[in-house]
Amino acid sequence: MTTTEMDSPAAHPAAGPAGGLPRLLPPVPGVPEDLRAHLARYGRPPYLGGPGLLIRGAQAAGLTGRGGAAFPVHRKLAIVAGARGRKVIVANGAESEPASRKDALLLRVAPNLVLDGLQLAAEAIGASEALLYLHPGVSQEIWRALSQRAAAGTDWIDVTITEAPPRFLAGQESALVNRLGGGPALPTFVPPRVSERGLRGAATLVQNVETLAHLALIARYGPRWFRALGTGQEPGSMLTTVYQADGTSQVIEVEIGAPLRTLLASQPQAAEAQALLIGGFHGTWLPTAQAASLTLDNATLNRHGAALGAGVIAALPAGRCGLVEAARVARYLAAESAGQCGPCLNGLPRMAAGLAELAGRGHRRQVRADLERWAGPRSLITGRGACNHPDGTVRFVASALTVFAPEIALHAQGHCSTTSRRPFLPLPDGMPTTEDDWF
Amino acid sequence: MNGTTAFWYASRATGVVALLLLTAVLVLGILVSRQGRLPGLPRFAVTSLHRNISLLAVAFIAVHVLTAVLDTYVNIPILAGVVPFASSYERGWLTLGAVSFDIMLAMIITSLLRGRLNRVLWRAVHLLAYLCWPVAFAHSIGSSRDLQHGWLLDLAVGCALAVAAAVSWRLAHAARQLPRAARVAAIMARHAPAPGTRGSERTRERIAR
Repeated sequence: MTTTEMDSPAAHPAAGPAGGLPRLLPPVPGVPEDLRAHLARYGRPPYLGGPGLLIRGAQAAGLTGRGGAAFPVHRKLAIVAGARGRKVIVANGAESEPASRKDALLLRVAPNLVLDGLQLAAEAIGASEALLYLHPGVSQEIWRALSQRAAAGTDWIDVTITEAPPRFLAGQESALVNRLGGGPALPTFVPPRVSERGLRGAATLVQNVETLAHLALIARYGPRWFRALGTGQEPGSMLTTVYQADGTSQVIEVEIGAPLRTLLASQPQAAEAQALLIGGFHGTWLPTAQAASLTLDNATLNRHGAALGAGVIAALPAGRCGLVEAARVARYLAAESAGQCGPCLNGLPRMAAGLAELAGRGHRRQVRADLERWAGPRSLITGRGACNHPDGTVRFVASALTVFAPEIALHAQGHCSTTSRRPFLPLPDGMPTTEDDWF
Repeated sequence: MNGTTAFWYASRATGVVALLLLTAVLVLGILVSRQGRLPGLPRFAVTSLHRNISLLAVAFIAVHVLTAVLDTYVNIPILAGVVPFASSYERGWLTLGAVSFDIMLAMIITSLLRGRLNRVLWRAVHLLAYLCWPVAFAHSIGSSRDLQHGWLLDLAVGCALAVAAAVSWRLAHAARQLPRAARVAAIMARHAPAPGTRGSERTRERIAR
């Protein structure tokens, strides 16, 4: 993908990786690297011999969390490192967004890079417990990597694996801590943040697995190398899951700040994208004409009401009804509400029903007024949940209402521009109906 | 009423008002615990009302205790406000008053510290309200002749009936309550059924009408 020239080749050890991309994914796409290949390429994890030392490196590198919130990594590290008492580190690989596949791929093809990052971060905060939180599908690769590492003696601390339930909110920080503590994966109110009081009261560092993999490379090649890619404010590369308008999808590692259109495969005229979904199901729809000129960094995207999130980019082809797709996703998000906060429990299903009515042919005038109350600028739903789920869902629905406004007008007259009724965005079946579904 | 009896009258009056306020707090608390509403008020306003009236009740009880202590007709030590068996006058009934006041203080302190406590502990303390109110009620009836006859007795009976009604409503409501995990599914079935199900046709009909 896109690369820039390196600032100074002398800054990198000869054994370092090539200057460009990919950084995280193995050079041969899709072929997993076992520990031997990993050690041959990177050597052992460069432990610094004491807590706190990696934090400065992370700060100089400007690394931000790749799980969606883009929180500065060094700040979380510093909070947990400075906390009193026991400390816990959790590698969060439970990417719960159905459209995102980058964490699962990374864990499969480069498990040792993630585990190096986990070990180095554990040393940096002085953790007494290290956990990996994953969906069941990827556990096997990780088990193999862990047993090889134990035999090779590369690890600073033992790692325990806990499996995550297949829920949208399962990877949310406080839900994750509740699950690891033996309870259901349900979010709780902040404060306290888990970095202050998390698993069984201990200060808990939760980092996305991709973030840890970047950290493992920063520990080896330094902040300067890391900053050779990306923008000044948002350095480095990131993994994205890209859904092309022709129905194919790929995980692509891309330089932050690269032009968005470089991610999109060129399509024949008839199958061109009409709109892009940026940032996944808590993200924002943008018309292709507007989005194609943007670059992939939060500074740019935020100006258009969008954010990178966990790096999901979906191009909705012409001939698919954006309202139908948005209604499907809204319904899924409503069903995945934890049902704890009133605005989310009561608001999301009504919003989904309103969108479903718009997606049908002919709707009551009242529906638009209702949707305005829930997803409009003075939404009754936003800012009132324990977690980000209601706000993220409103953001998604509000942008759909704006971008697909011409389609709404068409539907009001009983028409639809659809040529294919096949669902486009990936959604799992089933919704939680009993408490066990959250375990 | 003169200077020497003013405290005594004030104490009795604030006691009666405190009983009314405590009854209102308990009834509102039951409403809050089941996420109920009052006509014309959003849910959060019911919570605020519960919170504010409880603080008002404590203020009344403070005056009630203070004036009883300051009154010189009977000798009640200030400690009797919070310490059981500290008063030789009406030892039994004043002990009940002290106990209920202590429980109230525990509930208010844990509520003010709610962000720092775990929810189970807060809830356990808050459930003591169901002990606090009957104890306060017994103290009210037992320690003064006022509530034992006439319209003040009617008032006391009214309070007891209100609490009994609220508690039975809570029990009936809890029995009908869906478990947390089933709530989303139930609301989804009502408002946003899956496409192609019978529910969705019903919604469609409802929409068409």
